[in-house]
Amino acid sequence: MLALACIVGVAALDALTMSDLLGDPNMTPKRFANLFEDFNFDDHPFVEVQPPDEFLATKSGDCIDYAVLADYVLKQKGYGTRLIRIEMVGKNFNHAVCYVTQSRAYLDYNNRVYFFNLQRSGPSIREMATKVADSFNANWTFAQEFTFDYDTMAKHVFITIVKTDPPEEDPDLATRPPQP
Amino acid sequence: MKDKVIHRLLFFFLGIPMVLLAVAFQAVRNINRSVATSDWVNHTHSVILEAEALRTALYVSDAMMRTYAQSGDARDLAACREALANALDHLDIDKALTRHEPAQHDQIIQIESLVSPRVEFAQALLKARQTGDTEKVHTLLNGDAGSTASHDIQRGIDTLKDEELTLLTERDTASYLQAQTTRWTVWTGVVLDGLLLGGVAWLIRDDLSARRRVAAALQEANDQLETRVRERTAELVAANAQLSSENLERQWANQALEHQLRYNHLIVDSITDLVLVLTKALNISRVNPAVIHLTGLDPAALINQPLTRILRLVTAPDETGGPMRDPLAQALRDGRDLRGQAGVVEDKRGRQIPVHVSMFPLRDRDKIVGGVVTLQVVPPGTGPKA
Repeated sequence: MLALACIVGVAALDALTMSDLLGDPNMTPKRFANLFEDFNFDDHPFVEVQPPDEFLATKSGDCIDYAVLADYVLKQKGYGTRLIRIEMVGKNFNHAVCYVTQSRAYLDYNNRVYFFNLQRSGPSIREMATKVADSFNANWTFAQEFTFDYDTMAKHVFITIVKTDPPEEDPDLATRPPQP
Repeated sequence: MKDKVIHRLLFFFLGIPMVLLAVAFQAVRNINRSVATSDWVNHTHSVILEAEALRTALYVSDAMMRTYAQSGDARDLAACREALANALDHLDIDKALTRHEPAQHDQIIQIESLVSPRVEFAQALLKARQTGDTEKVHTLLNGDAGSTASHDIQRGIDTLKDEELTLLTERDTASYLQAQTTRWTVWTGVVLDGLLLGGVAWLIRDDLSARRRVAAALQEANDQLETRVRERTAELVAANAQLSSENLERQWANQALEHQLRYNHLIVDSITDLVLVLTKALNISRVNPAVIHLTGLDPAALINQPLTRILRLVTAPDETGGPMRDPLAQALRDGRDLRGQAGVVEDKRGRQIPVHVSMFPLRDRDKIVGGVVTLQVVPPGTGPKA
């Protein structure tokens, strides 16, 4: 037991912290993604988001932990970010990504080990949902844009896109200014 | 004929890719439709799953609410709030999912109208319990005892689920039919292409057969021509041989004739009597050497000259007292021989030489063409005086 605690303690010593992330003056989406190369995947219920320090200390989490943390850190660095959740066919088969407006790309926890860890995409939720579902070789049914607050640990959904709806009637198109 | 075959082959070869393109186009369209239908099937499942999740969340919230009312434990409160939040989330998702399906959307709105008071009730109860107002808690719980709100929500969810399952059957049938249409399209294309390929094979086979027949006919015509050429060559060779033989015979005949002519000339030239060949007009056409010898005249001086140039017949006066006639001319006209007539030949120096004259008509078939005159010199003292 003592040995395990020591190991966790040693691991925690060289682990990233929220302060490291927020204090990095050169933080970019690409740099952020590179920091998570050696993180492990740990599946837990989607509704539960790990506190950031726990996620960073254990180096273990899932897509929503990563997306919410990216949203939080990059927003602090002045980036325009959006949290997108894509629901695919099957029980609890969903995925979350963090879209960075300036990069016209989203950060995906599944891409953290690749050199190209930013997936380019247009700003529409439908386009992101299609790309994410393609990466899983699956069909999506609906996708949501949401926000997450670490203080209350509460998720707030404000846009839902349904795949079978006419694309031109997607709610996110009405709320977003036209792209050049 | 050849052009027609090529045109037909081109037609078939163009037909095959056109059928392939049409099948590919139709198949891709069917697949797209099938994907769209599949999306609707997934969508229906999603609505049902969200409705079921809503039902579960409501059960959980209700249970946790009652547990919290009893225990007052903060964890139960959090669990209840989380369950309520989940229920509202699932309700919102179902509302979004049925946005373009009015009947189902109305059903969700109806469920929402039942859920909202339930949430308000739960929040009121939680608030009362948090403030320690147990009397209010009991009042609220007692008031809820005979409520049919939960049952109404469950019925609403069941109705929605039944409608969605009906839609699911319809959408699954549509998906099945799309798949069937794709299968039929692909197999029809395969059969059509097979038929076109068969047509191409038949055309090529037919063309090859026609070419073989033409080649055989040509070969037969060539054989016949060669046979005729051989026959004609044989005929020509035979004719040539016959001509050569005839030529040889003719050559031999000519040689015999020349020999005979020469021999005849030799005979005529060897005769000591004078021989003169006359035309029908009694002009000299030929003489033998005896004439030249006796008269001393050159042949050129005699040929084509009248016989009277060197010969004069000695004739007795006509007893009737009529004019004297030329017996030679008369005999020639009559076509009879004239023998032993007395005559006189005058030579180059004018000497009169008595001769016996005989004349024989020359006949070519039945026609008299001239005559031959022979002169026999009369020995001196026996002949007539000129």
